[in-house]
Amino acid sequence: MRDRPPPPGTPPGPPPAAPRTAPTRRALLRAAGALGATAATGGLLTGCGTAIGQGFTGGAGPASKLDFWNPFTGGDGARMVEMERAYRERHPGIDLNATTFVWGDPYYTKLTLATLGDRPPQVAITHLSKIPTLAGAGLLREIGDDELAAQGMTADRFDERAWQKAHHDGALRAIPLDTHPFVLYVRTDIAKKAGLLGPGGALPDVDGPEEFLDALRAAKEVTGAWGCSIASTKDPSTCFRLFWSLYRQLGGQLVADEGQRVVIDMAAAEEAFAYVQRLTREKLVPTGVDSPGAITLLTSGRAGFLLDGVWQILAVQDAKVPFDMRPFPRIFREAAYACHADSHGLVLPKSPSEKAQRADTALEFVRSLLDASDAWAGGGHVPAWLPTQRSAAYRKLEPQSHYAAAADGAAYDPSAWYSGAGSSLHNRLGDVCASVLGGRTAPGRGAARMREELRELAATPSPL
Amino acid sequence: MAASTSASADTGTGTGTGATTGPVGRPGVRGLGGGRGPKGLRGGGPWRRSREPEGAPLSGAMRAVGAERLFNRVALGVLIALAVLWLVPLAWAFATSVRSSDEIATDPTAWWSGSPTFAAYGDLLTGGKLPYWYANSFITSALTTVLTVLTASLAAFALSRLRFRYRRPAFLLLLAGLMVPPQVLMIPQFLALQETGLLNTYWAVVLPQVPNVVAVFVFKQFFDGIPEELTEAARADGAGWLRTYWQIVMPLSKPAISAVTIFVFVWAWNNFLWPLLVVTDPEMMTLPVGLTSVQDAFGIPQAQLMASAVLGGVPLLTVFLLFQRRIVEGIAGTGLK
Amino acid sequence: MLAPFGFFYLVFLIGPLLYLLVAGFFNTSLVKGGLGEWVGLENYRRAMSTEEFWTSLWHSMWFTVLTTVPLVLLALVLALLTDRFSQGRWFFRLAFFAPFVLPSSVISLMFMWIFADQIGLAQSWAKSLGSETPPSWLGDPDWAMLSIAAATVWWTIGFNFVIYLAALQEIPRDVHEAAALDGAGPWQRIRHVVVPMLGRATTLVTVLQLVASLKVFDQIYMMTGGGPDRATEPALLYVYNTGFTEGRVGYASTVSLVLFVVILLISLVWFALLRRTEKEG
Repeated sequence: MRDRPPPPGTPPGPPPAAPRTAPTRRALLRAAGALGATAATGGLLTGCGTAIGQGFTGGAGPASKLDFWNPFTGGDGARMVEMERAYRERHPGIDLNATTFVWGDPYYTKLTLATLGDRPPQVAITHLSKIPTLAGAGLLREIGDDELAAQGMTADRFDERAWQKAHHDGALRAIPLDTHPFVLYVRTDIAKKAGLLGPGGALPDVDGPEEFLDALRAAKEVTGAWGCSIASTKDPSTCFRLFWSLYRQLGGQLVADEGQRVVIDMAAAEEAFAYVQRLTREKLVPTGVDSPGAITLLTSGRAGFLLDGVWQILAVQDAKVPFDMRPFPRIFREAAYACHADSHGLVLPKSPSEKAQRADTALEFVRSLLDASDAWAGGGHVPAWLPTQRSAAYRKLEPQSHYAAAADGAAYDPSAWYSGAGSSLHNRLGDVCASVLGGRTAPGRGAARMREELRELAATPSPL
Repeated sequence: MAASTSASADTGTGTGTGATTGPVGRPGVRGLGGGRGPKGLRGGGPWRRSREPEGAPLSGAMRAVGAERLFNRVALGVLIALAVLWLVPLAWAFATSVRSSDEIATDPTAWWSGSPTFAAYGDLLTGGKLPYWYANSFITSALTTVLTVLTASLAAFALSRLRFRYRRPAFLLLLAGLMVPPQVLMIPQFLALQETGLLNTYWAVVLPQVPNVVAVFVFKQFFDGIPEELTEAARADGAGWLRTYWQIVMPLSKPAISAVTIFVFVWAWNNFLWPLLVVTDPEMMTLPVGLTSVQDAFGIPQAQLMASAVLGGVPLLTVFLLFQRRIVEGIAGTGLK
Repeated sequence: MLAPFGFFYLVFLIGPLLYLLVAGFFNTSLVKGGLGEWVGLENYRRAMSTEEFWTSLWHSMWFTVLTTVPLVLLALVLALLTDRFSQGRWFFRLAFFAPFVLPSSVISLMFMWIFADQIGLAQSWAKSLGSETPPSWLGDPDWAMLSIAAATVWWTIGFNFVIYLAALQEIPRDVHEAAALDGAGPWQRIRHVVVPMLGRATTLVTVLQLVASLKVFDQIYMMTGGGPDRATEPALLYVYNTGFTEGRVGYASTVSLVLFVVILLISLVWFALLRRTEKEG
């Protein structure tokens, strides 16, 4: 829109007829030029200088500088800033330059373009579900056991699932920071009135298809509105997380060979969808609620449960209502326990030279973030750093420690270039799930639609 | 908005049955046609009450004057209302930027602050990367401008004065370039810069913006207006083409140079998509890209966002105020060529 | 003397255009380097059968309609009205034109705040006008494009306004006088005398506007990122997403080329149509 060509601005006519105002304008131009020059020199003196020099030459920054990119704002952002401050205090010689970007696709695009442009940050946060895409594109430096061990980081000190997910092609590409599963929020006061609480005030298992529905029915009796709320509008990811958790408990897989082959288990998908649809058909779960709306239903007492990611803990805590959190219930027993989860990990994007890579400094910084995992856990994330996850302090942290076990059942997104956090797989399959949840698509038809979408995605030639 | 204007127009039709109006001889009221003084007809000042018709009006003129006056009043009302509406976003951005976050939280849409504070501006200018972005924007825009003016004027000079064999094909090829929106070329341009390892340098931002066909045409149009005799005389004195260009033609072309300079500078400063692609290092970003790419980790402080919008707008608003006439004339020239 | 310009022109305009033509036949990848494998017309076939390609093209056109109509008509009306006054003209010019010089990111920041849910000015005004639950201007798929178009009209109307204003000043005064003598009122004069004489300016303004609007990217990228539910994703953002986010450079080249041809055809057809009516008129 903005992109008009600069309009031809010449007043036609013989050249000597310059407008009368010319001298003033020239003077102004000159003044503006002088101003600009002053600004530039001022910058040179105050340290913009290196950046400006680099702007012309494209060289690597000074060795004492460590660039760190993350997409955290709000509560997570504030915690991350605290963790960075702790690092700075202990490493005054390092100029830690942390930048927060807008979350979502733009963040990954920027990370990709930065690495292709030979100026990536030394350390960056990614979702581990993005590792197949990023590592497959050759953007991530492999992290060797030795350099890791030099900072005291060894495989046995990390959550096993997250650790596995951080690998690509047999090599470690990321250092896991946390796991953030899809969990069940419970209004304890409502659950108590519904007679759901066992001795000691804890919610007993609500596992099994009928058991979970019974619990929702009981909660609905108390709230008079809904049993459980789930965001299904403008939130395809949440819908996909619900489906994926159930479907993985039935043992289903969606794609194989890094996304090139569709291996959807139609019977399992239909069964998972049938269960999803029961939730709304029996009026236990509302349709047409967006993410903030779903949280409000819980906090305002119109729903006794909420299925959502652990990161919503801050929003629920803000409402100052009694609540607890548990792992996503085990509805089906056809396969090992599973619930949708993703992890944040720290990656070292490939730099053009070892000098620019600064791997040792980067890993030292990573270690310092891991050591601050207890602060990070406040935001709901289950620490991947076992010294923290198994510490007495974390076990006492409530309600965080109540769902830490969910990390053991973490079911990450399918591994494919079009998959991962905020991906087109989330959006497309999530739309199908939302349609089934809303009763607009029958379970069998939903499974078929899902297969169509996957076939289309799988047929798209991979750019990797 | 459209509804109200057409309503006023209807009013005009309804009453505008009379016969005559003339241009108005008063400075301050530009009647239809320029306000350069009465000529032929006399008539009432269309919207100035004080200016009642002088002397005997032509037949039916009284009614016409009434209609004219009413029409003008409605027109003025509509214009002022719209102009104020047009200033609202800017004013509100500024009003928000000087309020404290507490005030914004309690009453987000209030216009006045009980205790105005420029803290948000201070934070941005000292804590953030804004000073880098200013410097980067200035450097890249200035470089783009200088290179564009030089290459475009040289090319225009060649097309205007030199008689070479492929002049016409070259001209046509250039003309065709007007049809290509540079945005659709972003992929190959990016790849080219990646190949040469120039990404994340100023050159990546500057170089692809240099071939500006419009600038060539502006210069050529201007050079064509410079009398042949002037350049021929220089040639006869033994000056080469380059010297003729530099010592004769360019000094005569200051209006064209200043017009191209202003437009290319503004255009380069405002470019968004291209620097977004080729500059990813937060300290190398230009102002428009940095403003919306980099976030504050502490959430969304509205005062700071609006302060950054104000700070982002100030340089160009200043340029606009300084060169208002030049810019407006330049654009108007597009319509009249 | 042509060489310096010619160099940049060939490297950054002609070369890239040829590259688009070629890469469209390959499955070129952003991250693998090189052209990749020859895939023939596969990219074209895929684009034609992909819904997102068509919807993004449609969004660009819808945005063009939503912006071009008010940007031309409203600019014309504003110029016609402003042309009647010489005092205070600088104020109107300042008010209507000043936003045009601002960068798109400043516009986006301001309007994201104005259109914000619950706390934005637009919702608060809608409430005071009697709407109990004003829409989420940028979050509702039905409203997002309209909201962005409104912001765009605010932003860029000054350009057309100034062109019209200049064209109006070119109309000889005698024309008005003759019409006035014939008994035409102000509205009739505007409709039957002035507007028909603005044909050239209108042609120019609409063609420039069409081309500019079809290339929309900045404010949509920043204000909605193409959402909600891809409801505002324009063609150029689709190119950006497939080319740079997904890394499918070959495919994105094909889409770029198609977009280029569409822009070219629309502006040429429109230009020809206007020229013809102008001649007939």
